[in-house]
Amino acid sequence: MIKVENVKKAFGQTTVLDGIDLTIEPGEVVSILGSSGSGKSTLIRCINGLEKLNGGQITVDEFDVGKPRELAEARKRSGTVFQLFNLYPHMTVLGNITLAPIEVLKKPRAEAEATALALLESVGLGSRADAYPAQLSGGQRQRVGICRALAMQPRYLLLDEVTSALDPEMTAEVLAILAKLAQEGTTMLFVTHEVEFARQISDRIVFLDKGRLLVDLPTQEFFAADGGMAQPRVAQFLSKMRKD
Amino acid sequence: MRFADFTAFDLVLLAQGLGVNIALFLATSLIGLVIGIAWAIVRYYRVPVLSEVITFVSELLKNSPVLVQLFLVFFGLPGLFHIRVAPVTAATITLSANTAAFIYVIAVSAIESIGRDQIEPARVFGLTRWQVLRHVLAPQAAAFAVGPLIALLVNQLQVTSLISVIGVVDLTKIGNILNMRTLKPFVVWTAVGLLYYAAAKLVALLGTRLENRLRAHSAWRGL
Amino acid sequence: MRLDLSILLPHLGFLAQGALLTAEACVLALVGSVIMGAFVAIARTSSSAALRRIAFVYVDIFRNVPFIVQLFFFYYGLPEIGLYIDAFTTGVIALSIAGGAYASDIIRAGILAIDQGIIEAAEVSGLSRRVIFTRIVLPIALRTSVRPLGSVLINMILTSSILSTITLNELTGSAQIVVSQTYRPFEVYVVLLVVYAALTYLVSLAIAILHRRLNRDMMEAVA
Repeated sequence: MIKVENVKKAFGQTTVLDGIDLTIEPGEVVSILGSSGSGKSTLIRCINGLEKLNGGQITVDEFDVGKPRELAEARKRSGTVFQLFNLYPHMTVLGNITLAPIEVLKKPRAEAEATALALLESVGLGSRADAYPAQLSGGQRQRVGICRALAMQPRYLLLDEVTSALDPEMTAEVLAILAKLAQEGTTMLFVTHEVEFARQISDRIVFLDKGRLLVDLPTQEFFAADGGMAQPRVAQFLSKMRKD
Repeated sequence: MRFADFTAFDLVLLAQGLGVNIALFLATSLIGLVIGIAWAIVRYYRVPVLSEVITFVSELLKNSPVLVQLFLVFFGLPGLFHIRVAPVTAATITLSANTAAFIYVIAVSAIESIGRDQIEPARVFGLTRWQVLRHVLAPQAAAFAVGPLIALLVNQLQVTSLISVIGVVDLTKIGNILNMRTLKPFVVWTAVGLLYYAAAKLVALLGTRLENRLRAHSAWRGL
Repeated sequence: MRLDLSILLPHLGFLAQGALLTAEACVLALVGSVIMGAFVAIARTSSSAALRRIAFVYVDIFRNVPFIVQLFFFYYGLPEIGLYIDAFTTGVIALSIAGGAYASDIIRAGILAIDQGIIEAAEVSGLSRRVIFTRIVLPIALRTSVRPLGSVLINMILTSSILSTITLNELTGSAQIVVSQTYRPFEVYVVLLVVYAALTYLVSLAIAILHRRLNRDMMEAVA
């Protein structure tokens, strides 16, 4: 379980997260929606330890990300997929995916490569194992990014606007993979702009506005007129997204 | 007191040695500056044959060791022309040519960095070639070139230490003499190193001051 | 005045041996410089202010003191503290320390140029700082540093001529011996000059090829 308790985060004078409480149970698919600047990405970056908290606590399976010794364990349990892919440019696709399993999980190379190839097959990139990131399209790179995160067999998959840098065609191919993962029972925490997608595959939707958590409801209730839509900020946001 | 110990006079010797380095540095830098800029102007006006020869010579001087250049002038020229060349003369000739080669490259890139769109309007307005050079090109080229120029000069100051190998009694030569007399290499060479370091820092400091003065008047302030 | 290059022919083998020694010394010193430079670059970017200071002072000193002084410091000084090393090793050590000062700036720039996102992806995978540095940061930084490090190598080839002053028979030292045997300094030193220039030219070509090959995988494919 990921537990976010009264988390506060500020960059200099600007408060980005102002007392967030959130719980993610294993097996859940949760989407975080909100306008730019609402703190969505920062929240994910706090959960995987890239940002230090100014207040509150985050635990991943009881491991406190604020404590350096426990952070390593917490990180083993979560995998992150980034908006800008962040693949290692000097390594092949296979190298990218197998680096952490070999170095952190101490898996033998043969086993790590076998797992990697299986993952690549499942996303349709089985033939590109020896390619370099520079030779792949954006959608392909993101699929590799997903495989890289999954190779560590994480309990929780954190996805930070993973389709925002892709054109519509590539976005569709990545979303298809994510939908499949959700169906298979992977625990996922999305930060996304794809409202329709979130609606289709999420169990729960969380809405952030200016660093505050305004709504946290099961999907159906979120989009109901007397549920999430009753919040003016939510309605405003959703109508804006629909216009785009 | 044994002769092998240090005396106060040794400080005078060291200072004199440094003086030789600095004197040669100043002289060869000046000569090199004049020659290098002259070469760059020749290249700018695309004088046939001469431009190519200059580029070739410059590349040769830049990509070969200064020590070998010194040997060529000091040992080689007398052998070929049956003349005598004093160590200081050989040093002056060699270092001037070497500096000129580097100045040439800096000057060329500085001139080229000023777009032709500055030069054409000036010509259209009726300025002669010489006037364009003096009022449009030179100030801006100078401001552009000061940075690399300072780095070059600091380097050339250190290069002067090689003249000790052909017998000029500069700071390094004094260091050799003191080392052989006192047999205290750490003290001697640290002292010599310190003096060169101080001189290099002085040149860099004066250079930055000059750079700031030039930048203040030049239009390329934001660069 | 007679110019006769053919007198060099019987000595070509000997000169070739000298060239080989130069090559050996420079390759070893390049490796030494990169290692030294990597350590200093880490120190320069470390969170410890003391470490940053030491690294800065090291780079400052060895860039502002002439190489010949550094060389004499080690060559005459090391025996004083009981370290009796041959001229070749002393030369390589001196070149590595001097080269490391320049290499550290280059590697540091290469490290700082790495996309932060890549480091973040490595961190959240649970990779230790040591592994991140050796498997990700250094390989990427070195790939982008190939060209500037190539300049360091070229400079080192030219500077290695100074090793002839500590009785090492590298290329320049061998040439001096040939001069003493043929009494033809002009011919020998002219050829030497051209050989060095040709050598550095070849190295710069090799660097360009190496840069392309190493970075080929990282460059965007032309769609």
